[in-house]
Amino acid sequence: MRDLPGLFEVRVKARSIAYLFAAGASLGLLTLAFPHTDEIRDAPLIVLAGIAYAIAAAVWALADRIRDWHLHVALAAGTVIISLANYYAGPSTLYPILYTWTALYGFYFFPIREALAQMVFLAVAYAVVLAIQDADMVVVDWLLAVGTPAVAGLLIARLLAGIQHHALELRQSEERTRLVLDTAPDAFITLDRDGCITTWNAAAARMFGWRRDEAVGQKMRELIMPPEHADRHDERRQALVDRDDPLATETYEVELVRRDGRRFPGEATVSRVEAGGEVFAAGFITDTTERLRRQAEREALLREQAARAEAERVAEMVGGMQALVDAALAHRTLEGILRDLVTQVRGVVAADTATIYLADEGGRLSVGASSPGGGEVGHEFAIWVAESREAMLAQADALIGVPLLAEDEVIGVLMAGAEPPREFEGEDLTLLRLAGERVGLAIAHARVYEREHRIAETLQRSLLPDRLPDLPGLEVAARYLPAASEAEVGGDWYDVIPIAGGAVGLVMGDVAGKGLAGASMVGRLRSALRAYALEGHDGGRVVERLNRLLWTEAEESQMATMLYLIVDPAASTVRWVNAGHPPPLVMSRGEPRFLEGQGSVPLGVLPFPTYEEVIARLDPGDALLLYTDGLVERPGESLDRGLELLAATVRDAPNDPQGLLDHLLATLVPAGGAADDVALLTLFNLPVPEEFSAEFPAEPESLAPIRSMLRRWLAHAGADDIEIAEITTACGEAATNAIEHAGTSNGARFEVSGQREGSLIEIAVHDRGSWRSEREDDHGRGLELMRTLMDTVAVQPGEQGTTVSLRRRLGQPGGNAS
Amino acid sequence: MSDLTQVQIEQRDNVVVARLTGELDISVAESTGRKIADAVSSSARGVVVDMSGLEFMDSSGVSMLFALARQVGSHRQQLVVVAPTGKPVSRVLEIVEFGRAAPVREDVEAAVTVIATPQA
Repeated sequence: MRDLPGLFEVRVKARSIAYLFAAGASLGLLTLAFPHTDEIRDAPLIVLAGIAYAIAAAVWALADRIRDWHLHVALAAGTVIISLANYYAGPSTLYPILYTWTALYGFYFFPIREALAQMVFLAVAYAVVLAIQDADMVVVDWLLAVGTPAVAGLLIARLLAGIQHHALELRQSEERTRLVLDTAPDAFITLDRDGCITTWNAAAARMFGWRRDEAVGQKMRELIMPPEHADRHDERRQALVDRDDPLATETYEVELVRRDGRRFPGEATVSRVEAGGEVFAAGFITDTTERLRRQAEREALLREQAARAEAERVAEMVGGMQALVDAALAHRTLEGILRDLVTQVRGVVAADTATIYLADEGGRLSVGASSPGGGEVGHEFAIWVAESREAMLAQADALIGVPLLAEDEVIGVLMAGAEPPREFEGEDLTLLRLAGERVGLAIAHARVYEREHRIAETLQRSLLPDRLPDLPGLEVAARYLPAASEAEVGGDWYDVIPIAGGAVGLVMGDVAGKGLAGASMVGRLRSALRAYALEGHDGGRVVERLNRLLWTEAEESQMATMLYLIVDPAASTVRWVNAGHPPPLVMSRGEPRFLEGQGSVPLGVLPFPTYEEVIARLDPGDALLLYTDGLVERPGESLDRGLELLAATVRDAPNDPQGLLDHLLATLVPAGGAADDVALLTLFNLPVPEEFSAEFPAEPESLAPIRSMLRRWLAHAGADDIEIAEITTACGEAATNAIEHAGTSNGARFEVSGQREGSLIEIAVHDRGSWRSEREDDHGRGLELMRTLMDTVAVQPGEQGTTVSLRRRLGQPGGNAS
Repeated sequence: MSDLTQVQIEQRDNVVVARLTGELDISVAESTGRKIADAVSSSARGVVVDMSGLEFMDSSGVSMLFALARQVGSHRQQLVVVAPTGKPVSRVLEIVEFGRAAPVREDVEAAVTVIATPQA
């Protein structure tokens, strides 16, 4: 027999022993109530019964605090009391029964060793009583009397313990099952046929808020079902249970109610269970609140993703449309715009190819631009579209086309195609029609702009001198570099104007206003400036009059910056007026410096600003550089920095006009071209030689340059203003003769040379014609002037032509003047 | 060079004032003379050629002036030339004794007065 510790609570053992004592005492007293021999003394028995009752009462009362050894003492005390009662009552069948009860108790409740110890004590006590009562009793009877309760107790106790053991195992098994069910995350509920709850795990308790002891035995429909659904659930469960399939299982979504009345969604997996001949329903219930929430979130996310994808598609389409409009508004070449448009259109209508056909004046269509794979595809279809003036869909060829209209004229056809072919839909056609409206606008706009651009460019080009004048003793060079972007014709301009008396005017300007308007204003300023300059106005007045012109006549508020310089090589000076322009640069003995000071507002800003000339020396060997801001302005850099860089670049540049300008452009203009137009103009005041000899074409236009050259040379030789004027006049007469001698023969040239010895000036004019003493129409006034203005005039006719030598000593009163 | 000499025409009390600027040589002399002659209507009493603003003049300019004097004279009109003393133009006019062909004055006012004053 195994020990089963913890099988009984001590409380149970205590109460059992209390019953035992009370029952034994009651039986003892009961025997006294029946007739009995007088030999039996009642009093001791009654006392013993009282003691037994007292012990029973005490043990019962103290059942919760009793210990095992107390029970042993009590049982031993019980054996003593039975033995004493047996002694007093004499031989009776009652006492073997009571001994058997005692043994039964011992074997049932105590471990086997302790039970045997109690049995030994009991056997000894019973044997003693038997020996006292009947000394003659045979050993066999004696053993029988003592052995019977012992063996009966042992057998009965063992039998009972076996039953207890099974019960315990069953309980433990149930406990394990319960524990397993309790650790399950889902609620587990079983119902009997009537729908009452028989199993209710911990998860169910958590889920519904009802404890196991509260739930078990309740009708499920009343506890956790919403009343309106209860009937339906019952029916469904009943149908499941009634089915003849032992493995029937169903899963359904249910709405459930918590103890606090809140409802929540759940999923129930209900099985039909057949056990012990009984059929009932068992179900797992999952709270799907979280799952449904996640699912809803996932669905929301998917919907959002889908919505975003749709939004992006729409945005892309709208962006594509916008790009078409942008193309329409951009000032670009038609070719460039068409190229852009086909790409954009493809994006807008999700087509694989796009082609723009343009109609010529006769209405014939030709490909203006096409995306790769476009080309001549659908030419026939395009003609059809152009003729019908309607958007069309050619399903068989997977082509759609819309006419491009400008002012109600068909200017072309926009086509889109799918490769590989797919079916275009009405929506595609709508999009293409929208795109077509914009494309038509873009093309019309580009055509207008191109025309304007062409005019403006032509105008601009025509405004820049195509050939700079030959200026004796001076060398000029210029560059004009349009901005890198093909967009605008700039408002930059420069000019070189020979002025009476050998001076030369240099102009560098920048009209703030591009395109046709800017170019036309440049034109007006340029011609006005030429006129004012040639009238011999002071530089300040010239610029003031230009300001007036711009202020009164420009559209809107047009502005211009400008530099006007008058270089007088004879006087070795430069006078300049600056109207808000970057300062001119002078290079003197290899050192660049800016002509600062007296800068004033740009033209067109004030109605009556004052512009004053400033004068500086410009010695032979010095050079001037004029430029527009395109050369010195860089994004993110100050103008000062740009000017510093310019000065540094000039310092390292070659010392000749062309070389200087090439070096500046190569160094200062970015490889991709300047952001703004760049105009450059340089003037080198060449060193004056001691002697000179120059050839000129035999034509009247050579006279002015010869005079300029002479004035400069004479000034350098030390002649005063009157001497310069007189010698120049005399030499001019000689040169005029030389030109007359050449007649109308093309390509004839003559030579002017000069030398000096101290103050003696000698100038020779050599021609290859034959000398005629007098021109017919001037009555000899030329020769008269020469002779009067010079000291000597020698005419040497020769085989190689005629040489006229003119001499005059400086510092003496006027030649042969009388 | 066509713009070597500029001609500005002005009417003053029936007198044509032609102001020349720039330089006057054989390349422009003929066209300049024609411009002045064209400006003188038959009703004008005379013409003043203002050379005070002229930087340079040679014998071709002188020839132009002589021709102009003849032309206006034939229409009973008068030519007066303005050339301030000391300037290169004045010197040239002196040398060729232009004064014998037409009066030379210091300024435009004086020149106009010559024409306005009825000749004896």
